Amino acid sequence: MKEWLRVFGNGLSFENPLTVLMIGLCSTLAVSTKFEGSLFMGIAVIFVLVLSNVLISAVRKFTPDEVRIPIFIVIIASFVTIVDLSMKAFVPAVYSFLGVWIPLIVVNCIVLGRAEAFAYTNTVWLSVADGIGMGLGYTIIIAGLGAFRELFGSGQLQFLGATLVKFPAWYAPPNILLLFPGAFILFGLIIAGSHAMNRKLAARKQVAA
Amino acid sequence: MNPVVQMMLLFVGAALVNNILLTRFIALCSFFGISDNMHTSIGMSLAVIFVMVMASSATWLIYYFLLLPLGVGEFLYIPAFILVIAALVQFVEMYLRKYSPALYRAMGIYLPLITTNCAVLAAATEAVKPGFFTMNMPYAFGFGEAIIYTLGVAVGYGFALISFTALRERLELAQVPAVLKGHPMSFITAGLLSLGYIGLASLFGL
Repeated sequence: MKEWLRVFGNGLSFENPLTVLMIGLCSTLAVSTKFEGSLFMGIAVIFVLVLSNVLISAVRKFTPDEVRIPIFIVIIASFVTIVDLSMKAFVPAVYSFLGVWIPLIVVNCIVLGRAEAFAYTNTVWLSVADGIGMGLGYTIIIAGLGAFRELFGSGQLQFLGATLVKFPAWYAPPNILLLFPGAFILFGLIIAGSHAMNRKLAARKQVAA
Repeated sequence: MNPVVQMMLLFVGAALVNNILLTRFIALCSFFGISDNMHTSIGMSLAVIFVMVMASSATWLIYYFLLLPLGVGEFLYIPAFILVIAALVQFVEMYLRKYSPALYRAMGIYLPLITTNCAVLAAATEAVKPGFFTMNMPYAFGFGEAIIYTLGVAVGYGFALISFTALRERLELAQVPAVLKGHPMSFITAGLLSLGYIGLASLFGL
């Protein structure tokens, strides 16, 4: 169980896919203009990541080394198709907002990267921890970025059609936050912050040990 | 509209206005991963142009002549496309190694990486389902339009990658605050570069 928690926690901090491993950036920057869209994107990635990790880890003993990548991709693509069709059916508004990003989960480096680097060499139980941890690490950053950009860039925060927060009329939202440069610059600052935080955490661990 | 003008607009729109890296954030992993060396990024750009055009033509034909007639285009296109792309990349690699060693040496190591380059799958998907890019265009691209569109996307990729690499090589020598050193600074640079692309969008009145 301790090992499980360690793997789970790594996904959130020291091996966070976005800020440390720097994989899966494309979708993060592109869909984080809206809180709602980025939250659903995170959920979709958690779903695909956990299930594909489990399946790949379960069949790892019968998978020939030479053809593992095509096998991974087919497994991942089937789960992505499930997400693609369910989202189209149940949350059509979010689906049309996310657009091409749902099929692109197939080639999202996080999913394939974790399959190759973790699930293929570890047990099913640990792969679940890795999937949830990595997925949550991704979701937290993307949803946070989405909430920040929507709140300060458009002056309000919406979720499933309801307005959660709205700034008074005198607030003139800086448009740049919603545009592409805003995403790049904001994300640069987030990485700087999380690197500083990880350095501090590591230093505290050394002092304690 | 004159068809030639329309094709030009499609090309420019795909290459610059809707630049796949800087305004649509697709394929950022390779963008930040390999952009620290000019030689590498030129090789990668050439490989992407080559593979992307081939992959999109193949997937376009498969979508319209195999998947749609069988009635499975809606839910089998993701696995079908990615398999076609992976197989095609392997095939191109083997072919080049045998028949054109010079070209293989120039872009050999980048070819396998392209399988997981999201830009190729994105271009292939959008060649059959042009979701975002409908300006004055019929909803479904014909074969010619699909190729022009993909070529535009690929050239835009190379253009953005090479210009960003040039910036990053200069940045190595610059005085940057310690907190922002490395990746954070690259992101901020990319942000400023993509500001320029917004200007292009208004230049073409889109």
